[in-house]
Amino acid sequence: MIVQTLVDGLIAGTMIGLGAIGITLTYSILRFANFAHGELISWGAYAALVASTALGTIAAPLSQPIEPFSFGWSLPLALLIAMLATGLLALFVDTLLFGRLRARGGAVIILVMAGFGAALTMRSLLEFLFTTKPAYFTDTLQIAMKLGLGARATPDQILSLAVGAAVVMGVHVLLTRTAMGRAMRAVSENPQLASIAGIDVRRVIRFVWLLGAALACLAGVMAGLIVQIRPHMGHDLLLPLFAAAILGGIGSVPGAMIAGLIVGLAEALSVQFIGAEWRAATAFAILVAVLLLRPQGLFGRPA
Amino acid sequence: MSIELVSYIAFFLTVALTYGIMCLGLNVQWGQTGLFNVGVAGFVAIGAYVSAIMTTPDDPNRFGGFDLPIIAGWIGGALAAAIVSFLVGLLTVRLRADYLAIATFGVAVVVQLCALNIESVTGGPFGMGFIPRPFASLAGNALVFGLLNLGVTALTVLGVYLALERLLRSPWGRVLRAIREDEQAALALGKNAFHFRLQAFAIGGGIMGLAGAVQAHFIGFIAPENYVPMLTFQVWAMLIVGGSGNNLGAILGAVLVWAIWAASAAGISAFVPPEQQARAAALQIVLIGLAICMMLLVRPRGLLGEVRTVSRHITSRDKTSSSS
Amino acid sequence: MGPAVTGPALATQGLVAGYERDLPIVRGIDLAVQPGELVVVLGPNGAGKSTFVKAIAGVVPMHEGRVFLGGADITSVPAHEKLGRGLAFVPQTENIFATLTIAENLQLAADILPRPARAERIRAMYAMFPDLASRPGLRAGQLSGGQRQMLAVARALAVGPSVLILDEPSAGLSPRIAGEVFATLRAINKTGVTIILVEQNVKAALSIAHRGIILVEGRIRHEGEAAKLAGDPLLGELFLGGHKTARVAS
Repeated sequence: MIVQTLVDGLIAGTMIGLGAIGITLTYSILRFANFAHGELISWGAYAALVASTALGTIAAPLSQPIEPFSFGWSLPLALLIAMLATGLLALFVDTLLFGRLRARGGAVIILVMAGFGAALTMRSLLEFLFTTKPAYFTDTLQIAMKLGLGARATPDQILSLAVGAAVVMGVHVLLTRTAMGRAMRAVSENPQLASIAGIDVRRVIRFVWLLGAALACLAGVMAGLIVQIRPHMGHDLLLPLFAAAILGGIGSVPGAMIAGLIVGLAEALSVQFIGAEWRAATAFAILVAVLLLRPQGLFGRPA
Repeated sequence: MSIELVSYIAFFLTVALTYGIMCLGLNVQWGQTGLFNVGVAGFVAIGAYVSAIMTTPDDPNRFGGFDLPIIAGWIGGALAAAIVSFLVGLLTVRLRADYLAIATFGVAVVVQLCALNIESVTGGPFGMGFIPRPFASLAGNALVFGLLNLGVTALTVLGVYLALERLLRSPWGRVLRAIREDEQAALALGKNAFHFRLQAFAIGGGIMGLAGAVQAHFIGFIAPENYVPMLTFQVWAMLIVGGSGNNLGAILGAVLVWAIWAASAAGISAFVPPEQQARAAALQIVLIGLAICMMLLVRPRGLLGEVRTVSRHITSRDKTSSSS
Repeated sequence: MGPAVTGPALATQGLVAGYERDLPIVRGIDLAVQPGELVVVLGPNGAGKSTFVKAIAGVVPMHEGRVFLGGADITSVPAHEKLGRGLAFVPQTENIFATLTIAENLQLAADILPRPARAERIRAMYAMFPDLASRPGLRAGQLSGGQRQMLAVARALAVGPSVLILDEPSAGLSPRIAGEVFATLRAINKTGVTIILVEQNVKAALSIAHRGIILVEGRIRHEGEAAKLAGDPLLGELFLGGHKTARVAS
């Protein structure tokens, strides 16, 4: 039973980790806590839903499930389209809102507030477009496979874990081994020196939005595949995302992923031992503990 | 004017003024101190629930009620919210600014969860009824009852307003302003700056709790769904429209935004077919969100502008073009 | 090194700059620095030396005037494009990325070069600064003050700029380490790089410079050959007149 709880926790933690990477990147480079990040998760999921439905309509064979998974080729294709679309959405919001406020050089908290307003707008717009009724990528039912030790997981869940792990490694390599990664870390440490050092800070910011939004979209599609798609799905993830980003240490990609897994596991354990209705409080408990004991997080630098 | 209309206006204004109290509380935190609270709904809910538990008649199905006088409930609700604010502030006020925002967001989520899940105290999803209303014995006469309640709420708003104005003009308020407007001064004060901010945060939270209590006793019934993030957004929209930093603006913003909100909600229920009403309500929220963003971009000082106590957060980027 | 230029390597015309429009700190500076020249900018505290070079680098807003680099008008070129055009700037503090390693600091600078040229330039920097070459994987934040300055100079130099501007590179360093920094700058200058140096350390700076200019209240008050300026009584007047703390004699 405990093994099953751990498996469930890891799967949930992968989604939280992917979202938290986006939060930690935008936080460390744009220097504000983006409350609209959860909405990128929801928009990403709906964008993929629309794209995969459209693909399935155009070419019916695409929605034929790929054994042993529950979805057809339309979903991975739709995911790529949706990642791009979510990235463009983030850039659009930045151009319209955050970029203008940044240009005025105002306080961080104005950006936080703007993110709060943007979140409200984006979430309710989804509700307007798709209503609160849950949606699904597929109606194919999956049989969970035995993993040993009494644990089970569906092929979709196992795939999500693998994709999550691969993406995290990819982002880590990007940050540590490429010119863009160096530029991102440089901007995160000192934007002014970065521009003196020849880095186009605006280009880095655009890249971070694209990357963060694409990861949010991936998290949204996973959540949609494993659970369901709802306009509030991203908003409900926001507290675990922030808890994971802060626990991991702002700016640390491996930290965000590990902390995401910790938060996911903690949630699964609290569902098991305390009750499902308290799941959402787990992230808050972790957040409070981190702020009390180690505000810079596990892998963060002291502020 | 018909009696119905006058009683409706009294009812509308009373509700609007309870939002006005929340706005005044938020103004102490944000307008005067620059502390960002994303969990307004949580603090309001604490005030409402604590007051309800203290004043409702004994209920065998849950903890309490204690049948205490309404005024005791108001004070208890405000105190409880102030204590929770104090604790949250203790944890986050000394950290980076957005940690406070995240923590308050978490408080709202957890308060909502508690209201839903601790049925033996809060009544769970069905909430709590039979919350004593002021002048309940006169409820038969809608007009007198409405006007008396409006009077009590208006007096409460006036009391909070005067107390805050006095407080902000006191040495305490001057220090608070200095901390907010001059980072150097804040650094020089060091640990004391932290204490001042913490005090302001707790006072603001307490006022929100009071607002929750006043509202709960006026409506007579509370449920978790009254304290969703939407409420936080509404209060923020009110404060931004009225102009943060300006107490009179905060009250005016509350009345104005509530009027727009109530009118558009009435419009939706009158003109939109029932199956589309949920969608229309979502669109209504989209508009509130857009309004917040637009105000930040176009008129960051609010409709009334700020009196005397201009927030550093808003002026620092307006230095070159300050004209309002 | 650097593109072949005719006329000054760097020139400013009527430069007015400051953090706020109504409070200019630099109030109209005309300066022409010849290719290969090492010019030191001197002046009492608050004279606008630092603001002057920061405005050229694009870090402080420029309100009026023009800046030319090798004859090309770079007045409205954004700060991050200036390095690619051959103008490198080393700020006084926070001039390295402390969370990146030494190698990453250099790599970051070389990233703006065409790919084939990068490795070669980084090797050249390690050859010039052997201290850095010995432990490329060390976090730059762990370096000592003098090593940080060297890394900052190496980072700026990695792209092979025609003009190198430094804001008080000797600040906070012991006299011995400051001496090493000055010797390095002189060696760099000998390779053909034009250098503009803001300094408080008047005597040492003049000893390596060709020419000195003295700023007072945001304008050029006096300029002349470095050797002559060193003995100029005006210098003592400006720095010692009421300011016993000035470091003329250090």
